[in-house]
Amino acid sequence: MLLFVARRLLLILPILLGLLLLTFLMLRFGGGDPAAALAGDNATPEQIAQIREDLGLNQPIIVQFWDYLKDAVRGDFGVSAYSNRSVGLDIAQKLPATLELTFAALMIATVLGIFFGTLAGVYRNSVFDYLVRVISVTGLATASFWFAIMLQLVFAMEFDILPLRGRLPTGMEAPGTITGLYLIDALLHGRLDAFWEAFRHLVLPAVTISLGGLATIARFTRSAVIASMQSEFATYEQAVGYPRRRVVFPYVLRNSLVTPVTQVGLLFGAFVSNAVAVEAVFDWPGLGSYLVEAIFTSDYQAVLAVTLVIGAIYGVVNILVDLTHGLLDTRVAERM
Amino acid sequence: MKKLLMAVCSTVFLLGSAPAFSAGNELVWGDTLPKGLDPHVVYDVPMQVFMLNTYDGLYRYTGNPPELTPWLAESHTVSDDGRTWQFKLRAGITFHDGSPLTADDVAYSFQRLLTMGKGPSGALKPVLKAENVSKVDDLTVQFKLDRAYAPFLATMPLVSIVNQDLLKANEKDGDFGAAWLASNEAGSGAYALDAKTYRPQELADLYRNKNHFYGWDDNKKPIDVVRAHPVQETSTRVLALLRGDVHATDGYLPTDQVTRVEKADGVHVRKDESMRIMIIRMNNKRAPFDNLNFRKCVSHAFQYKGFISVVLKDLVARNPGPIPGNLWGVPKDVAGYNYDPDKAKQYCDAAKAEGAPLDRELEIHIQSALDQTTQSAQLLQQGLAELGVKVKLVASTWANLTSQAGSAETTPDMWVHWVSTYFVDPENWIGQMYDSDFQGTWKASSWYQNDDVDRMLREARSKTEQSERAKLYSAAYRQIVEDAADIWIYNTVVLRGVSDRIEGMKFSPVGSGAEFRWMSLKD
Repeated sequence: MLLFVARRLLLILPILLGLLLLTFLMLRFGGGDPAAALAGDNATPEQIAQIREDLGLNQPIIVQFWDYLKDAVRGDFGVSAYSNRSVGLDIAQKLPATLELTFAALMIATVLGIFFGTLAGVYRNSVFDYLVRVISVTGLATASFWFAIMLQLVFAMEFDILPLRGRLPTGMEAPGTITGLYLIDALLHGRLDAFWEAFRHLVLPAVTISLGGLATIARFTRSAVIASMQSEFATYEQAVGYPRRRVVFPYVLRNSLVTPVTQVGLLFGAFVSNAVAVEAVFDWPGLGSYLVEAIFTSDYQAVLAVTLVIGAIYGVVNILVDLTHGLLDTRVAERM
Repeated sequence: MKKLLMAVCSTVFLLGSAPAFSAGNELVWGDTLPKGLDPHVVYDVPMQVFMLNTYDGLYRYTGNPPELTPWLAESHTVSDDGRTWQFKLRAGITFHDGSPLTADDVAYSFQRLLTMGKGPSGALKPVLKAENVSKVDDLTVQFKLDRAYAPFLATMPLVSIVNQDLLKANEKDGDFGAAWLASNEAGSGAYALDAKTYRPQELADLYRNKNHFYGWDDNKKPIDVVRAHPVQETSTRVLALLRGDVHATDGYLPTDQVTRVEKADGVHVRKDESMRIMIIRMNNKRAPFDNLNFRKCVSHAFQYKGFISVVLKDLVARNPGPIPGNLWGVPKDVAGYNYDPDKAKQYCDAAKAEGAPLDRELEIHIQSALDQTTQSAQLLQQGLAELGVKVKLVASTWANLTSQAGSAETTPDMWVHWVSTYFVDPENWIGQMYDSDFQGTWKASSWYQNDDVDRMLREARSKTEQSERAKLYSAAYRQIVEDAADIWIYNTVVLRGVSDRIEGMKFSPVGSGAEFRWMSLKD
């Protein structure tokens, strides 16, 4: 198992290198250079040229990439050309917000998706099954941007029971940073007021992001449950008189979970990209908004670092998914 | 049904919402924060707001139209040749940490800005070197310019005076304390930043500086705490205002949201004519835009009235030339171009007869994040399509476009942008946009070349009498409009959604009325 994890971790490295190179080339050949914008609105051509030289933008592209790589390996992602702040520090501040949001959405999508998918599969062609199918198709077809605004209008504006935006109310002191995840930090500091507010602020954005994933997981679970219910072992167990509930939960469900769990790994990537739009609507101060701003301003250091971090997290999440496969299916575990 | 849903939701979430902010003397400002907080590195509209509130300059713009008001300086003198300027500081001014603000700090601030060469330094660099700024005595600072430069005084509000000792204490590897100042503040302004709670582009808490040199006698109930808490998305921004989460939005409310805010209770829209002109640039060095008749054809093919009245619901003011209509130096009798398809066709035919290549597909670059650039480009596309000229819209970003403006070869055929108020002088617009010395910068991206105009603009720059300068700018304005160098569309009206609780707001185009020291909140 440990060897498997080590091997998979090593495999991530060339993937990250490729990702970084691709992003670097796209930025350099398609994005112009930030020197003119950075020089300010009354800059002279000489000033722009000087800034270009200071940033090393006059160097051959391969030299620029090599220099960046050397620093990145040491954990130095450079300084934002615009704010003069360390990009690593910015990411450290913003990443927990995105992770908290994405994991909350993943949890909602996984728990509810598997629950509804299983019921729909077990009670195939029932009213409940049709309802789940309609909801899942709708969930897949709904634009998260629109859904986010609808949730705001209903729950924040019309009924005023959930906050409109942000991670905490304006003026409320954030819990001291331990993990950067407000829910956990608030509990660790015994700040129940902050925990409750952080939870309330998390609900609408997390539900928005989870919608598409919930639909996907429900559909995959339903198909897998139907296939398992029709397999020989399930027929045998029902024939010898096991109650339906016992057939479904320990046996059918365990055999059906491999497919939806694989989806969870893939969905993580979709959730992070979805977070870009959702973070903007809910003013969620995460990496999504940071990345969009960096792209619009050609802030290369920031774009590259965020790409690298998201790529690395995506890789790690997929290793965790593979390990979960091993837990669900001992045959997979033996091959690890 | 509504009650049932309400009951269900309330049960699920146990209790209702908490108040978004304390109802006391605390203002929540929903406008954008600058990317970094160093006023000598970043210079844009959000930074103007941060600077106005946390820093002081030698002079400050107040009112609309803006007037230069002595601020840290109580007076200034200028030598007969217009090159040596001396500023006398007020006595007894202190920074937020209590240390005195002296001529040393002023000299250091200018030297720091000019040496780092970022932010607003471009307005000074052509005429001032860092070594030519010096302290005369504790309260007098002197500038020796390379040549006479009349707009020098107008650029003074651009430069924030920073606390020299504080920055030197936080300097690393000769960076002038820039890494530290990106997330901190070293000023003497009416409000001080709480650096402990500052989260970049997310939250900046500002506390009233009771010892500010200007005093607080003119505001009986000043705001004690300002929580600058930007809202990224327009729709959320307006909802936050309607809900009472913020007391003010940004100053660029879309026209459809203006109606929405105006219909709501407890909030209103402030409309103030600013000095920010919208332009469609034409690359005068590239065919067919190097042909005067073709440029006039394009100028007559744009539906100015349709754009201003229908798209923007008359919430802007038509501006027919390269100086905002509410600034001096504008010849009032110049009406500019209007939408006239017949005239446009005549000019296009004339251009074709002169050999202008009208067959190729032209490009107009828009800024993806700004709807108005798309809307105006589509109108022009439609107007030219009726004349048989094909135009393609190309999505881009500000960073790309300003970088492309570095040479005539890479500058797009056309692109859309605004020129805001960085300093209040025609030099900020016509001077830097059409003097060929500025080619290679985004402001001069039409690559317009006219020796007479160059001469007039340079002469205007060197004269000290405003009346003489106004004549020169007026003449240059006429010539540039006659040459149809660009398509000038409108001068912006700042549209800001504000709570009815805000009182005393004073608008100035520099900072768009976001100077908190004048404001108070009704109970």
